[in-house]
Amino acid sequence: MIKINHLTKDYGQQRGIFDLTFDVQRGEVFGFLGPNGAGKTTTIRHLMGFIHPNAGNCSINGLDCGTHSAEIQRNLGYMPGEIALPDDMTGLEFLHFVADYRGVTDWARVEQLMARFELDARGNLKRMSKGMKQKIGIVCAFMHDPQVLILDEPTSGLDPLMQNHFIDLVLEEKAKGKTILMSSHIFEEVERTADRVGIIREGHLVTVDSVAALKAAQRKRYTVSFASEKEAQAFSKESLDY
Amino acid sequence: MNTTLFMREVRSSYKLWLIFIAILAMYISVIISMFDPKLGETLDLFAKAMPEMMSLFGMGETGATLIEFLSNYLYGMLMIVFPMVFIIMLANRLVAAHVDHGSMTYLLASPNTRRKVALTQVTVLLSMTFTLLLICVGIAIGVSQAMFPGALIIGDFLLLNLGLACLLFALCGYCFFISCISNETGRAVMFGAGIPTFFYLVQMLANMGGKLADLKYATIFTLFNPKAIIAGDVSAWWMCGVLVVIGAIFFSIGIARFEKRDLPL
Repeated sequence: MIKINHLTKDYGQQRGIFDLTFDVQRGEVFGFLGPNGAGKTTTIRHLMGFIHPNAGNCSINGLDCGTHSAEIQRNLGYMPGEIALPDDMTGLEFLHFVADYRGVTDWARVEQLMARFELDARGNLKRMSKGMKQKIGIVCAFMHDPQVLILDEPTSGLDPLMQNHFIDLVLEEKAKGKTILMSSHIFEEVERTADRVGIIREGHLVTVDSVAALKAAQRKRYTVSFASEKEAQAFSKESLDY
Repeated sequence: MNTTLFMREVRSSYKLWLIFIAILAMYISVIISMFDPKLGETLDLFAKAMPEMMSLFGMGETGATLIEFLSNYLYGMLMIVFPMVFIIMLANRLVAAHVDHGSMTYLLASPNTRRKVALTQVTVLLSMTFTLLLICVGIAIGVSQAMFPGALIIGDFLLLNLGLACLLFALCGYCFFISCISNETGRAVMFGAGIPTFFYLVQMLANMGGKLADLKYATIFTLFNPKAIIAGDVSAWWMCGVLVVIGAIFFSIGIARFEKRDLPL
């Protein structure tokens, strides 16, 4: 469904993404992991058609992201990593605007989504907290019941209860056969929903594997404190079996 | 064009539009009320006493008829500079501000192509600019008829404004082009406002005459020539045609660049 093929965007100074290749199957939830600045958002911006690659290409449902973005967007829901909303509108006005602008006729679904996230959107967007804006972003991404969802760090700013609501929503959509690409910088955030996970570091894809395999291979780190330097030296000479 | 976006943009900019109409309505009424053959003589005295200062503002000759008077005092500066500032501000809001702020994300994360978004914004810019001009023309005709019935030759006055419309179209095209290629509003305003202002300053210097008169070839404002339009000079319309072509070229390059370029969203 989503195909990324040797995608390269070089911003210089080792920044950007380099020769990225992976795909997301129809009906799959794909977790896209990496530290801040690794290139997750850059990859997603290519998928959205906001920027164009230096080399390689990417496509969604067989349509090239650079040239057919409007067609792709008909069936795509997007949640940006940084939600920038107009500051001269109330949340409700904005949701009405986005619905009309997209040609969404099913307002009931918008109301369902708002109820689900306990979103009272009557206030001015300018005065909304990060979490509130995040909820508006969720409603915008899901309101037109798209087949493909691209979610850039969707749970940042949400409280744990809302994070759970969000995970439930993702699982429901997955059950309906939706294809979902979700980025995060924490493994735990995607392990409950994702089938497979791709890890990106400094613009290079490190690994793509199933959640189960990654969990098994997960490294655990422990910090051991010693009472004195002597004990620590003794410990360092010990041959450790692990 | 997307009607929802059109309405949204009009709603968020109509206050700016009303403010400029109010300012212009005030100036138009004051200037027209100053039309008085006797006052004209006084202004002539001014013009004789300090010709450089008066011609600097395009107010070199007072003119005997109301339309000549208006073309000097209103169409020499006020009716050019105020709509120009309005265009600079609105063009910047319509594209560059959305990109800078990030709200362009929502406009493009939709089944609307970049071209469609850009064309909608062009429609907003042109319709708000031209309705502003139309309303000013209405006010000017209304005030003239009320204060000096029959003094204004309306046909000529409309032609004068058609010429101004060509100049404003060129300015719209240029400012929209800058807005389309800018990532930050700061840069958009700097180039969007800087170059037209520079051209206008050159025009002011050229107005002073003498050796400086040759500077008129270095500014696009020369292409709008109220005196030649009123005189029925064909060359005046050639120049207006050039303005329309300049505007159209800037609009098309701006839209094409916006369609192709990487956006920092």
